[in-house]
Amino acid sequence: MSLSRKAIRQTLTIARRDFIATVATPMFLFFLLAPLIMASFSLIGGMGASSVAEGAADRERLVVIADAADAPLLKQADERLRTLFSKDGSPAALDIEAPAADPMEQARVALGDRDHDVYAALAGPLDAPHIFYGPGATRSASYLAALADTTVRMRDGREASEPVKIEVQRKSSTIGGQHAAGFMAVFGVFFLTLLLAGQAVGTMAEERSNKVIEVLAAAVPLESVFFGKLIGMFGSAVLFILFWGTIAAQIGHVLPPEAAQAIHQLQPAVGWPMFIALFCLYFTMAYLLLGSVFLSIGAQASTIREIQMLSLPITFTQVGMFALASAGAAHPGGWLAIVSQVFPLSSPYAMAARAANTPGLTWHVVALAWQALWVAVMITIGARWFRRGVLKSGGPRRKKAAIANG
Amino acid sequence: MANEPAASATGLVKKFSGRRVVDGVDLTVPAGMIYGVLGPNGAGKTTTLRMMLGIIEPDDGDRMLLGNDAPREVGDRVGYLPEERGLYPAMKAKEAIAFMGALRGLDWKTGRARAIEMLEDAGLGHAADEKIRKLSKGMAQLVQLLGSIVHRPDLLVLDEPFSGLDPVNQEKLEKLIRAERDRGATVIFSTHIMAHAERLCDRLAIIAGGKRRFEGTVADARGTLPFKAHYVPHHDDGGIKALLPNDAERADDGWRFTLPEEGIEALLVRLIDAGYGIAGLSIERPSLHDAFVRIVGREALERALAEEPA
Repeated sequence: MSLSRKAIRQTLTIARRDFIATVATPMFLFFLLAPLIMASFSLIGGMGASSVAEGAADRERLVVIADAADAPLLKQADERLRTLFSKDGSPAALDIEAPAADPMEQARVALGDRDHDVYAALAGPLDAPHIFYGPGATRSASYLAALADTTVRMRDGREASEPVKIEVQRKSSTIGGQHAAGFMAVFGVFFLTLLLAGQAVGTMAEERSNKVIEVLAAAVPLESVFFGKLIGMFGSAVLFILFWGTIAAQIGHVLPPEAAQAIHQLQPAVGWPMFIALFCLYFTMAYLLLGSVFLSIGAQASTIREIQMLSLPITFTQVGMFALASAGAAHPGGWLAIVSQVFPLSSPYAMAARAANTPGLTWHVVALAWQALWVAVMITIGARWFRRGVLKSGGPRRKKAAIANG
Repeated sequence: MANEPAASATGLVKKFSGRRVVDGVDLTVPAGMIYGVLGPNGAGKTTTLRMMLGIIEPDDGDRMLLGNDAPREVGDRVGYLPEERGLYPAMKAKEAIAFMGALRGLDWKTGRARAIEMLEDAGLGHAADEKIRKLSKGMAQLVQLLGSIVHRPDLLVLDEPFSGLDPVNQEKLEKLIRAERDRGATVIFSTHIMAHAERLCDRLAIIAGGKRRFEGTVADARGTLPFKAHYVPHHDDGGIKALLPNDAERADDGWRFTLPEEGIEALLVRLIDAGYGIAGLSIERPSLHDAFVRIVGREALERALAEEPA
């Protein structure tokens, strides 16, 4: 056999082994389906965001305070003007209210409506209107100005005079801002947990591959090994968050004004300081819950390949929990929101969203206690599972004489 | 109490997947001795040691460790070297030793100081700041052994400690085990290498098939077999076999057979009278290896060998 033929044969022998070793495993199926997994992930995230956006859009309003006689013309003008916009760019729905004793004050009050996000409100005569608008809602204010002008043209055949535009600072957060903050809270906890807790799998695998685990198990209770690892990993996760959190906090200074304005509209219902505190607590709970599950899994697997195979169903479950919590965040108070807040694995996400959507702290105390209970349960089960699965025998058998006299 | 054993097991049973891998083992390890646990592969040595240390719980039976029936409660007084050696590759040697001490309640500062001292005594002073991944396998094993004694335990349990060591390091380890015994610690070690057991053990137990087959001194173990004679005649032919005891087997240039109970003199007279003469004669004390083979059974040993993966 020539040298080149021999080299080809040897190469193909290696290639054959590697090909079979890779393909003839269940893991390869997951590998094949990876694009589908990524697509599902994106879809669920997109649906969550879209659901939040739609939930908020239903409550967006523009208010015109005008005599009942002008109402039909206003509606007609509104319909005509809306034809100029695309569906996505269309202004918020129009509400026409009859004037009260003080229309100007009525308009200001309308901007603070807790049931709707009123972006702008028009009061006074249509040919000399006063337009009150919330922070960043200049586009809505301009639309109301155009609406008044169009209505006056239709009614009187002349232009309306330049409106007086007054920006009003909102005393409470917008519903849209709360929803967006809620979704960001869910996504933030989910993303950070998935990113950081996944490392816990590898740490136990490290002990398994280095054979250190028996030294640890002999010296300290397995519960301590588990909890110690969780805390160690959590410490590094906190460091990660502090680093990126510090950078993220500075982003507002370098963003364009419009983007900065959009960020300012993210107003959690419990207020920023409490929201940040609760976010950290819920991240901690989610991390400990997921981390303990990953640790348990990592303890069972003896190879990285096995770990990846076992981790995937857990990741799917987490994505499911994320979807559940996102859907709940879009409809605070709905049954889906309640289910996601009670179910242990989705509870940290859903309660983070609740902190953004709903004021009040009592339920957060209850939820944290509930989640802490589940963290304890998960760690205990994980440690027991580990004890049962590991240290079963004298280790991998090596080729050695059953008896050697030397 | 002075006479209290350092460790004991009574009727220990452990089942894995319905199979009794340890089947009613009794052990008594006197304090201050080197105690060997011998047995072929898969005999249940490691599982027995793990149960005694409380790493796994027995399905049945009792164990006492340093006077306590809850082994973990005396964990800080115990040192353990598992069969599967394990150290964090990124740790420095002295840190690895201090870490293992810290697991057993020794403060880090003392652990580091002792680690440096112990490494120097073991001729590894130069490796104190080396990462484990840079050490040879033998050096890493010694580092782990030092880690198991850095807190000066009252009981040291070593599972197959000689496995994978070269002769130089095996000798170092033997010295270290003796030094621990001389310090007052009790040492239990498992092995399937008879020479170490023969040289080191004050007492030993032989386990096979999950059961304890023997417990006593090395001399007791040897005493389970009669002495052998190795006889070399001046010349040999087919007729000599008829004069020798029934168990006589050819060995080297002569014959090996069990020393007759009535003594060898009468046999020698018969051989001389028959003209075979005596070119050589030695009386051989049975080795621990012979005793082990007899106690465990050749069949069981062959089975253990056959179960080894290729």
